[in-house]
Amino acid sequence: MSAGAPELLTGAEEALSVEATGAEREITARSPTQLFWRRFRQDKLAMVALGFVILIVFVAILAPLIVKIVGTPNPQTTNADLTDDFGQPLGPRAGHPFGVDKLGRDVFSRTIYGSRVSLEVAFIATALIVLIGVTMGLLAGYYRGALDTLLTRAMDLLLAFPVLVLAIGIGVACSGKDGCAGGLIQPGLTVVIFVITLTTWPYMARIVRGQVLSLREKEFVEAAQSLGASDKRIIFKEILPNLVAPIIVYSTILIPQNILYEAALSFLGVGIDPSTPSWGAMIADATSIFKQAWWFMTFPGIALLVTVLAFNLVGDGLQDALNPRTSK
Amino acid sequence: MTRSTLRPLLASVVAALALVVAACGGSDSGSSTGSSSSGGGASASQETGGKQGGVLKQLGSTDVDYLDPGHTYYTAGYQVLYPTQRTLYSFKPDNSTDPVPDLAASKPEISSDLKTITVKIRPGVKFSPPVNRAVTSKDVKYAFERFFSANVGGQYASYFSSIEGAPSAPTKGVKPISGITTPDDQTIVFKLKEPQAVGVAAALVMPISAPVPEEYASKFDAKNPSTYNTHVVATGPYMVKNDAQGNTVGYQAGKSIDLVRNPNWDKSTDYRPAYLDEIQMTTNESDASIAAQQVLTGSHLALDTNPPAAQLKDAVTTKKGQFVQLPGGGYRYFPLNTTIKPLDNINVRKAIIAAFDRDAALKARGGKFTGDIPTHFLPPGIPGFEEAGGMAGPGYDFLKNPRGDMTVAANYMKKAGYPSGKYTGNAKLLLIAANADPGKAQAQVAKAQLEKLGFKIQFRTVPQDAVYTEYCQVPKKQVAICGSAGWFKDFTDPQSMLEVTFKGKNIAPDGGNNNLAQLNDPKVDAAMDKASTLQGDARIKAWADIDKQITADAPAVPFDWDKTTIIWSKDVNGVGNPYYDALDYSFTSLK
Repeated sequence: MSAGAPELLTGAEEALSVEATGAEREITARSPTQLFWRRFRQDKLAMVALGFVILIVFVAILAPLIVKIVGTPNPQTTNADLTDDFGQPLGPRAGHPFGVDKLGRDVFSRTIYGSRVSLEVAFIATALIVLIGVTMGLLAGYYRGALDTLLTRAMDLLLAFPVLVLAIGIGVACSGKDGCAGGLIQPGLTVVIFVITLTTWPYMARIVRGQVLSLREKEFVEAAQSLGASDKRIIFKEILPNLVAPIIVYSTILIPQNILYEAALSFLGVGIDPSTPSWGAMIADATSIFKQAWWFMTFPGIALLVTVLAFNLVGDGLQDALNPRTSK
Repeated sequence: MTRSTLRPLLASVVAALALVVAACGGSDSGSSTGSSSSGGGASASQETGGKQGGVLKQLGSTDVDYLDPGHTYYTAGYQVLYPTQRTLYSFKPDNSTDPVPDLAASKPEISSDLKTITVKIRPGVKFSPPVNRAVTSKDVKYAFERFFSANVGGQYASYFSSIEGAPSAPTKGVKPISGITTPDDQTIVFKLKEPQAVGVAAALVMPISAPVPEEYASKFDAKNPSTYNTHVVATGPYMVKNDAQGNTVGYQAGKSIDLVRNPNWDKSTDYRPAYLDEIQMTTNESDASIAAQQVLTGSHLALDTNPPAAQLKDAVTTKKGQFVQLPGGGYRYFPLNTTIKPLDNINVRKAIIAAFDRDAALKARGGKFTGDIPTHFLPPGIPGFEEAGGMAGPGYDFLKNPRGDMTVAANYMKKAGYPSGKYTGNAKLLLIAANADPGKAQAQVAKAQLEKLGFKIQFRTVPQDAVYTEYCQVPKKQVAICGSAGWFKDFTDPQSMLEVTFKGKNIAPDGGNNNLAQLNDPKVDAAMDKASTLQGDARIKAWADIDKQITADAPAVPFDWDKTTIIWSKDVNGVGNPYYDALDYSFTSLK
């Protein structure tokens, strides 16, 4: 929640707040969305972070254009002329503002293109997690009984696995020539997305289930039931709208978490083809020669740090704006 | 399989399999343990006139695989073996192609039917305490017999399988071998089933031929595994420090090895000058950069194997006289599977080699101070190297430019039926790479080179140990290009460098295949059959010609003839031995 004296009023009271404009006082009604925006805009830090998130998304989309304008080579282009006689990469210089890596590939180009892998994985995996997690959570929470037991135990089972070990195992198993799950999971990014989704959806499902368990006992749901509304209607029209806020908040936490997850998997060498630029893989490659080539780790490291920080700050801002009763 | 193949490629795995887990500890790359090599010049010239005495300390992260001469097979083990044991024949630091008699009194006598080898043993060589008696030919015979027992677990039995009565599988307990006889205490005779005397005699440099006293060792060899490893006695100028019962108290697995002078060594029986009084080896250095830095700036220190790039650069550029480069006696290559389309077309393969920036691949391994760019397969330090073309090579246009030549490549692609000079088909080539550097880095270079010619690459990284055993060596996995392959000598014979890797008859369809390119050229096979029976210069010439023929068949992109750089402090006169690519303690001295 943002700071400031007038903010003593919250929630419903605020919707009817009295605004002083000079001598006149006008009473305005605001929709929840308007209220949300109003609160979010007042959070300066979150706004700056949001601007940065938008910037990163544009960088990812326009990566080829940016690389072309700056004039650095394609991120996959290896060039032995840019390593010294000992195979050590050369540092920042004209034409290569961030230096090159061990194979003479441009670190600037790779850092820019690396945003694509990070965001691609983060957004797709988060969308899948929301889809699966919300569905499972709704089913388990609304129907309870045997279905709930089955789903919750399945989630417990998944949560009981050491996540990284499971991820590495699946990553290796699915990185064979033909992938796994009958060719559905192909080696590469798909494996990474699959692993992240598989190990993360239970968290989302549990949050949703908990909310649904309490919502389904609320009067408005009972009222709908007594009027003979179908399960479908109750789930979609009565319960789901009340879940939007927690889902959005949790998703925004998931995005930076998944960016880091992807970086960690790449760092461990799971899934992604090593010639595909990825921040995690770049940092992993750089560790062995950090003392000789600081640039190789520094730039992708900064990119990863700033991106994750920006998403987290936006997430915090959203949480405050959507759920004003919580305070930082 | 030869020692060295496994050595660089699978070092870490093999270490794990090999009971003594510490053997190759700390070698993530799987290559640092073993490399070898040398091309370079300075090597062993300082062997005369060193100062007597002093203590040398060698820093390292690699423990010996075994102290037991019947069991050891890796660089670190050889480095301890050489100053402590006297094998029948051994290599002086200045010549890694022609072995000299060591425990043997003279060159082996080979019968005209190539089925009998007679070796005379030098008198006056004694075992170290607590055995304290003269070595006889029976000790060599026992060493061979115990090698084949399951308790000892010798690792290269195939070199000696042609000896009459040699067990085909590890024996339970030490069993006599009928083909090895000792007419008197100074004579040992090997009788062979086949006319393979030249090859077997060449293999008498292996550690198997170091004598082992039966009356002392039999009680250790009765255990499984044999505990002779921690009770080993020496015949060389040095011994692992031991107590009155023979326990090697100077050996602390995974930590340190202490070599002291063998009081029973008689200088007049040996070619080794043995200047130093004591050698202390650490085998648990956790940071190679720090160890290398200590060596370069400190006193009375040496490093066990290649320093990290920064210190290598420092040594090569500013520390003249503090390093030696040893030729590895092996080649690293990217095999092109000749059974997979379009690689079955020789012109496509030539185009790939022509386009390939082999300098970039070498740089991915550390650059020109860690290896030379090959122009054919037989590496420096192996007989036949010069005859096969030396450093300049046989002169094929597709191997001429180490940076790659797209014009030549385009011409070959046109010959292969691709008028644009680039590959236009749809085949996806499977490239298997290790998931750690330098294997990963070099394979990425290979991918970029193949893509230059329009090939579509399916790039898979797998754990280091699986590259060979699960993929490259298994023909039905249809690996088109193996991302990290290398072949290194066990002893200096051109046959062992080419036959296993390129003979068509050696293709093993069900796995364990070492002819990775699956080259099946009847001309090569026939020439190999003939050359294996030859001796002397004719043999060298024949294998050099085979090397040229293989190179012309373009079955692989050779990109590295390894070199190992050994560094030492400025008050050390280091001498490296190119046979096992490490410092030779018997020749190294202090200033």
